[in-house]
Amino acid sequence: MGDFLTIVMKELRHMLRDKGLLFGIIVVPLLLYPALGHLMQVGMQQAQEETKVVLVNFDTGNYGNLLIKSLEIAPNVTVTRIEAKDLQDAINKAKEKDYNVVVVIPGDFSTKIDANEKTNVEIYAIFKSVSTGIRESVSEGRINAVVNILNEYLAKLKIKNSASGDPEAILHPIEAQSYSVIKDRVVEVSPSIVVNLFSAQGLSIPIIILLMVMVVSQMAAGTMAMEKENKTLETLLTLPVNRLTIVAGKITGTAVMGLIASITYMIGMRYYMSSLIPSGDSEISLEALGLTITPKGAILFALVMFLTIAFALGLAMFLAIFAEDVQSANTVVSAGIMPLAFPVFVLMFTDIETLPAVFKYFLMALPFSHPILAFRAMLMGQYSSIYFSIIYLAILATVMLYITAKFFSTEKVLTAKLRFRRRT
Amino acid sequence: MAAIKVEDLEKDYGKVKALKGISFEVKEGEIFGLIGPNGAGKSTTLKILATLLSPTGGRAEIFGYDVVKRADDVRKLISYLPEEAGAYKNLTGWEYLTFMAKLYAKTGKSVEEMLELGREISDLGKRLNDKISTYSKGMTRKLLLARALMVKPKLAILDEPASGLDIVNAYVIRKNIKNFARSEGVTFFISSHNMLEVEFLCDRVALINEGVIVEIGTPRELKEKYGAENLEEVFMDIVENTLGGV
Ligand SMILES: Nc1ncnc2c1ncn2[C@@H]1O[C@H](COP(=O)(O)OP(=O)(O)OP(=O)(O)O)[C@@H](O)[C@H]1O
Ligand SMILES: [Mg+2]
Repeated sequence: MGDFLTIVMKELRHMLRDKGLLFGIIVVPLLLYPALGHLMQVGMQQAQEETKVVLVNFDTGNYGNLLIKSLEIAPNVTVTRIEAKDLQDAINKAKEKDYNVVVVIPGDFSTKIDANEKTNVEIYAIFKSVSTGIRESVSEGRINAVVNILNEYLAKLKIKNSASGDPEAILHPIEAQSYSVIKDRVVEVSPSIVVNLFSAQGLSIPIIILLMVMVVSQMAAGTMAMEKENKTLETLLTLPVNRLTIVAGKITGTAVMGLIASITYMIGMRYYMSSLIPSGDSEISLEALGLTITPKGAILFALVMFLTIAFALGLAMFLAIFAEDVQSANTVVSAGIMPLAFPVFVLMFTDIETLPAVFKYFLMALPFSHPILAFRAMLMGQYSSIYFSIIYLAILATVMLYITAKFFSTEKVLTAKLRFRRRT
Repeated sequence: MAAIKVEDLEKDYGKVKALKGISFEVKEGEIFGLIGPNGAGKSTTLKILATLLSPTGGRAEIFGYDVVKRADDVRKLISYLPEEAGAYKNLTGWEYLTFMAKLYAKTGKSVEEMLELGREISDLGKRLNDKISTYSKGMTRKLLLARALMVKPKLAILDEPASGLDIVNAYVIRKNIKNFARSEGVTFFISSHNMLEVEFLCDRVALINEGVIVEIGTPRELKEKYGAENLEEVFMDIVENTLGGV
């Protein structure tokens, strides 16, 4: 135990002083991500600012005034009426006062509405620079919303005057009511919302898990390759320390760094995401759909994650045996882990049960499918499949770690070599 | 009991036969030198004794323990300094020595004692508190040598201990090794190119060439046998003769 701790501490001390590594696991997630999110937030906030409308009314009837009143009471819209000779004059005046939208009500506005003819309102968004135009489109949307409400209102008014029955029912005779059935329970949420929620999870969970696997694997291989590159491995292997203790110490040191990395990345991602999703928009949560995470489910999922990481670290250490320096270690690990991880991306878009049997069993054989399957099973409360994942991963991880430890106790760890650098 | 006992030791790297059946014995407390030209098989022999490589034939024992079957026991008795070695660059010299001392503490020595000795042998003074990445080649070598000796192993296996050191430092190191052998009873197994070094240091030497041991004896015996002024002449004589004989 003493040796083990000594080695773990040395690993941690050495890694924590690696500037590149620290940049990757502290600066990038905790400073860069939130900074990026904040920048985007500032952009969005600017876009969400008040829509300042300059309004020119050439209409003399009632309906022009009705539209103006509606716009005035609409939220986030400030209306300023101006007098203008023509459109160009109005735009010039708007520019002067830093307004971004000009609305023009034509002279025959009320007359046409009274005559049951189609009329129009002209909306001019003034682009001041080549930008995303979010602000301008938001402004347009707000005015369109007002016009739509007014449209409905006027239509209902006309229906009331010329037909009998509920104007709403005449205007919208059919309305679709949609529900979703989840875990044999009917929830009053439309499928499109559920799909949005699922696909957000479906995309982000595999990416986060696989990213984490890659990061810790590279770190583990890095610590091994670093011993070779700095020529410290030979000394290390002649110390009065069991080889298994050395492997375990390195794996544990890396796992601790991996834990730190996953925490910092999660915090960073949260900040980043929360600055993108405007607050106040009442988001439907997984809980609202009846997909709750029980303590039992969480523990089982954590176990699956632990075994997946253990397998990945064992594999990475094994692969690193064949690399001579950090650079080639990165190459070998990518070459070794990518083929196992890549097919798993299929799960981002599909349910494993809908795949042909061959593909299904192929994916089930890959260790990195299991954390994703387990995450879904955890939400659905299907624990039996998680038990299967745990048993399967435990066997894989044990075999992998055993092979790695075996290789470490032979001279292969010193003599096995694969070169990946180009010959010049 | 012999500190080292090697019998018909062979090592093949694929097709390359690095050792073709060498045998020798080293007594406890001796400073034994293995000398020979480049590629003769010196480092290979040392690595097998240090439990890093396994022989393809023959056997080697350290204080009675087989280097393959009882590798864990052997590692408790030895301390090995590789020919080309480095230290953990992000640690300071002191942290490096502390790390090593802790791992050797279970062999019955106190960490403080080892560190005190390490500070003395390394001769790095205040620089021990600097990161190893700022050390020169010679400073790193002194640190590594200090690490190898401070643990007072029963057998120190040093592959060209003074390589990369200047004349002054090499001289100090040799003195240190000699003192250590006398005062602490540490057995030394050293490989070298430097005949002066070997003559000054070693009680006995073995000359190895192309994986075969061609001579064993004290420096004086060898000089007398070949009627040479110094070991360098003996060495050249043997190398030329073996090459001529092929
Ligand atoms: N890892 C290896 N793979 C293949 N051949 C090797 C390996 N290591 C050493 N050899 C070969 O074994 C022979 C002996 O090498 P060794 O390193 O023991 O020589 P040496 O006496 O230490 O030489 P030097 O004085 O140059 O250090 C050489 O021919 C060398 O090419
Ligand atoms: Mg050598």
